Amino acid sequence: MATLTRQDLNFGQVVADILCEFLEVAIHLILYVREIYPSGIFQKRKKYNVPVQMSCHPELNQYIQDTLHCVKPLIQKNEAEKVVMVIMDKEHHPVERFVFEISQPPLLSISSETLLSHVEQLLRAMILKISVCDAVLDNNPPGCTFTLLVHTREAATRNMEKVQVIKDFPWIVADEQEVHMEEAKLIPLKTMTSDILKMQLYVEERTQKN
Amino acid sequence: FHPLPWRQRVAGGYMAAKISKLEEQFQKDAPREKQKDGTSSCIFSGVAIYVNGYTDPSADELRRLMMLHGGQFHLYYTRSKTTHIIATNLPNRKIQDLKGEKVVRPEWITDSIKAGRQLSYVQYQLYTKQKGLNYSSVCARGKQDPSSIHEPSKPSLNHLQSDSIKPQPSHTQTLSTEVLKSTHANHKANFTERSNHQGSQDTLLTNGYVHPVNAALKPQDSFAELQSLISTASPAKQPGLHSMQKDLHPKPTSNPGTSAAPQKGNLHDQTRVRLNGSYHMTPNSSTLADSSNPPGRSAAGAEAGIISEFFSRSRLHHISTWRNEFSEYVNALQSRSRAAGGAVFSGQEKLKKLRANCSSGSLMAAPQVRQSCILHVDMDCFFVSVGVRHRPDLKGKPVAVTSNRGPGRVAQRPGANPQLEFQYYQRKQQQRPLFFLNGVDLDLAALSMAEIASCSYEARQAGVRNGMFFGRAKQLCPDLQSVPYDFQAYKEVALSMYETLASYTHNIEALSCDEALVDATNLLVELGVTSDDLARAIREDIKEKTGCTASVGMGSNILLARMATRKAKPNGQYFLRSEEVDDFIRGQPVSSLPGVGRSMSSKLTSLGVSTCGDLQQLSISRLQREFGPRTGQTLFRFCRGLDDRPVRSEKERKSVSAEMNYNIRFTQVEEAESFLTNLSMEVQKRMEGAGLRGRRITLKVMVRKPGAPVEPAKYGGHGICDNFARSVLLAQPTDSGQLIAAEAIKLFYAMKLDVKDMRGVGLQVQQLEGSYADPSGQGPSRGRSIKDLLLAKQPAHSPRKDPPAQGRSSVIRTEFFKSSLRLSDPMPGTSKGGLHHPHTPNHVRTYLNVSIEVPSPSQVDQSVLEALPVEIRKQVEQSWRHREEQPSTSSHLSTPPRTSSSPPPGPSLGTLVLQLQNQPGQPCTTGIILELPDVSQVDPEVFAALPRELQDELCSAYRNKGNAQAQVGKKNPFPQLKQPAVGKLKRRYKKRNASPAKKGPSPLKKLFPGNSPAKSSPSKTLPLPLKHPGLKVSLTDVPETLSKFNPRPVPTLAGAYEFSDIRTLLHEWVTSISEPMEEDILQVVKYCTELVEDKDLEKLYLVIKYMKRLMQQSSESVWSMAFDFILDNVQVVVQQTYGSTLKIT
Repeated sequence: MATLTRQDLNFGQVVADILCEFLEVAIHLILYVREIYPSGIFQKRKKYNVPVQMSCHPELNQYIQDTLHCVKPLIQKNEAEKVVMVIMDKEHHPVERFVFEISQPPLLSISSETLLSHVEQLLRAMILKISVCDAVLDNNPPGCTFTLLVHTREAATRNMEKVQVIKDFPWIVADEQEVHMEEAKLIPLKTMTSDILKMQLYVEERTQKN
Repeated sequence: FHPLPWRQRVAGGYMAAKISKLEEQFQKDAPREKQKDGTSSCIFSGVAIYVNGYTDPSADELRRLMMLHGGQFHLYYTRSKTTHIIATNLPNRKIQDLKGEKVVRPEWITDSIKAGRQLSYVQYQLYTKQKGLNYSSVCARGKQDPSSIHEPSKPSLNHLQSDSIKPQPSHTQTLSTEVLKSTHANHKANFTERSNHQGSQDTLLTNGYVHPVNAALKPQDSFAELQSLISTASPAKQPGLHSMQKDLHPKPTSNPGTSAAPQKGNLHDQTRVRLNGSYHMTPNSSTLADSSNPPGRSAAGAEAGIISEFFSRSRLHHISTWRNEFSEYVNALQSRSRAAGGAVFSGQEKLKKLRANCSSGSLMAAPQVRQSCILHVDMDCFFVSVGVRHRPDLKGKPVAVTSNRGPGRVAQRPGANPQLEFQYYQRKQQQRPLFFLNGVDLDLAALSMAEIASCSYEARQAGVRNGMFFGRAKQLCPDLQSVPYDFQAYKEVALSMYETLASYTHNIEALSCDEALVDATNLLVELGVTSDDLARAIREDIKEKTGCTASVGMGSNILLARMATRKAKPNGQYFLRSEEVDDFIRGQPVSSLPGVGRSMSSKLTSLGVSTCGDLQQLSISRLQREFGPRTGQTLFRFCRGLDDRPVRSEKERKSVSAEMNYNIRFTQVEEAESFLTNLSMEVQKRMEGAGLRGRRITLKVMVRKPGAPVEPAKYGGHGICDNFARSVLLAQPTDSGQLIAAEAIKLFYAMKLDVKDMRGVGLQVQQLEGSYADPSGQGPSRGRSIKDLLLAKQPAHSPRKDPPAQGRSSVIRTEFFKSSLRLSDPMPGTSKGGLHHPHTPNHVRTYLNVSIEVPSPSQVDQSVLEALPVEIRKQVEQSWRHREEQPSTSSHLSTPPRTSSSPPPGPSLGTLVLQLQNQPGQPCTTGIILELPDVSQVDPEVFAALPRELQDELCSAYRNKGNAQAQVGKKNPFPQLKQPAVGKLKRRYKKRNASPAKKGPSPLKKLFPGNSPAKSSPSKTLPLPLKHPGLKVSLTDVPETLSKFNPRPVPTLAGAYEFSDIRTLLHEWVTSISEPMEEDILQVVKYCTELVEDKDLEKLYLVIKYMKRLMQQSSESVWSMAFDFILDNVQVVVQQTYGSTLKIT
């Protein structure tokens, strides 16, 4: 029974792969559930053994992919604290923020058997939770857009410049307006705790959406 | 309980005094007895018998016969004085001891009386030439005599069992005939009195020094006798009085003094006397174990009787139960009057007449306004005034009621160290006001430790106080006269007081034997008299009927009435008018408020409050902050004279308990076990008597304080002790003594005590419900299928069978199953059990593991399984079948057999069930290592509390893998939250809970926003426009400490970690107590705060929502307030951490 440490396996990379894959699914699903795009552009797929909706709009998909591609190195180094999907109304004021708060526990030891299946179950639970989150959220006003934010730890941005992928897809510092939401209400959706990853998803919702 | 060695000569001191007192008492009673029963003679003059063990006729009957026929009866064997020993069987050892003594069968006495002369004892000898017991003759007798219910058994505890298996009706039946036969004719009228007498003698006789084994049988005999006597003699008697008498009977009329005082701790107001713990005992494991002990010397067996004995002898215990008796009496009166279509109130009539006589203007002007008026009737120095009512010589002198009758000095017993205890008490008292030992030079060694039950006003002036030790009081007041207890008289007087009150109205709340509340509101309107007239009439009536004075306080509510009584005393009456209330109450000390005891008044003193007036200055919010919402509110109202408690004739019972802290001296664990079993039976009896069942079982233990003398100053007393308590929650309410015993024994083991140091044991059952038909009986077939399945699979794994204990874990299990189903439920948010679904699969894993690990059918709570929805049950069964098909996978599940109600420490033994569904047969043994915490994080106390097997397992796990993590913290899911008594345990949890907070500043303290990660503002701004949808980075300056995720203890609430546990705990908390303690609320807030810190908002959300539902549903508004408080605090923390507040719908 091999016991692996984070260094042994380049664990950050494994975690980043898993997480980015998940985030992609989650973002697509949120777009569908929150009706940011017409439901016509979504297709039913199966991920984590549950049905999910995925956009088939190539540009949108590319955008999401590129974004996550840039997030990945951050996650890999455990420098991303939060990945936030902000849904904004026509005036570009955020109405909802889906916050994926990520922390990677220092790995003590890990066994390869339980890892994937276990994490997959946790992620599935989170996906399921997203798919029903409209039940606890108010409807969004029409014409919403979305944006993705990453809250990094410390001076991660400085190093970001050096990474090639990020150079190709430059990031900017977010406006206060997009980060901050007045009178927000917090709705925790799901928390997962596994050996390699601790993540919680909550929604911050503007009290008055319209 | 430790029986004195058989041969031990107790020279001088206590025993000598006791024996001589008993003799004196015997002499005193003899003429009375003769008077009662005409047939007396002197055939036994010069004969002094000593009854050893069970005899037929019973020992007290023998005593009576000896009284009648000029003999002596020794309660204690003295070689020099006792001429004959009466016994029907004796253990071999005693036979050896009694070489050369005359050991005679009781028939000798009865036959001698029949013959009218003293027959030769020779042919009645129990054994001849020390060859052993004369079994044949005993057996023959047993066959001849149909009235003998006891099989002439070997001198062992089998006795007890064979006996107790017998159906009760026949038992009492035979006994009653037997007694009727032996007590000749003519005393039908005397029956109740007689039986009372018998009861008292009997209990005296069976007092533990005599013969432990047989002692166990005594009380039940006497009780059966009592019952049958009463039922045969007085079926026509009024039911209320009847039941009361029955319960008052077994009280000894006068008893060796020192046993009285230490039982003070025993005054649970909720108890009801039912004699005898051993009677209903059916053979269970522990008694079987006992019976395998060598016959006769089983000390454990001695315990069997002592509990019932204790409760039948403890006089203070009796008095304390009187309140219930009188409440019942009042109830009976009420129901009778209802049945009769209206009662006749003689007192009322009298008052009416009185009014008619002096029908001039003054009385007619009586208040017609319907203003509520409560009378608080309280006898003046009840015990004293009853004690001196026939002794005019003592009137006006300092008098104290106590069991000590000498000069207040007794010889010191070896092993006792009174000085040390006095010092201890003294030290203790120094922290409290109002104690009598302070600064007084004491001749400690020789002072009587008998406590003063009551003292007259004259004595009080000299500084004597109730509860003082007599020796001390005697020093303070050398003229102090002592009056012995006279329980018969107390009963009479109390009864006539209640009768008097009942002759006016039935709206009476019995507070104690000498104190009652009367709601006179309607009465006054009806009669048109003033409350003063009524009070005067009542007091005159009482004085006339009882010869004792009573004081009456009147007010518009209970509080004011009670306070007025203080002013009225002694022998007066006082009506606290509503207009004077304000002035009056301002001057009252806070300690006079009900519910304000020593600790609270000292706390109030520290707040600068000494009178109610001071208290009025404090705001309600301040009070609630200091004392908790409920108490605060009550104080706030009380200090303004507001009190809306109604006069209730019956009070709701909150707990049923039995407690004993006198003469507890175990030497072996088995003794303690059997004691607990018997105590449980006592509790069962009480619960049956009250028609209640309870879910929470609390074991309270007094343990000798380290360093305290082994033998306390008071004989058989508990000395200086530490108190411990532990409780367990059952899945369903029970009143079964066996179940309670099983739980209690488990708790007992969990406490890991040295039995030798135990000084007191109490069992309490809370969360009561009325008994009803057992719901588990309705569908046994459904549950059976699973049970059978389990049974078939895993017969080998059957640890201790404690179904109720398993109940709890199975509840958790079933909840888990629900959650596992939810995982595949596409719409969890809308399904009914919405609260369950957010379990992460991790938790699922844990509990699946538990369910696998508990294969024994005894561990599956049938009713829980039945309560499951059909589909879940199916899945459970399916899982099991699945498992059966995979024996290889189950083989590596090392099963700790005694997981009982705590989840196993390595919670990840298997994702087995889930894996079976996905990848059957996949090995998963490594899971355990993943979840083990770092060794340094294991709380040694928790570890020590684990069952042996678990400890071993943990140790080996640590050996195998150095570092790991697990939630040892969740090891004890027993909800400790609401138990104020579990101080020690709770402190431990607090300690652990506190540890994470130390690692960083508490979120509550992080008042400056810059420190919170979510609010931290971007440091750099590099605007770089992008097409929509835009992609931006927000830079955050997060402190280094936060980024480094240190493994930290998982937040726990009173040890609970899993959400289901938390839920159970909270439910427990909210439903079981009416007023949350501030401390508990803070614990919950702290837990929630930790959840925020732990970034487990989901759980926090669930907890909050659950609490909201629970607390806002609660009828008590305090709970709503508590919830608001918790929510406010949590929102602050969330706001600071996340910049927004939780949305609570």
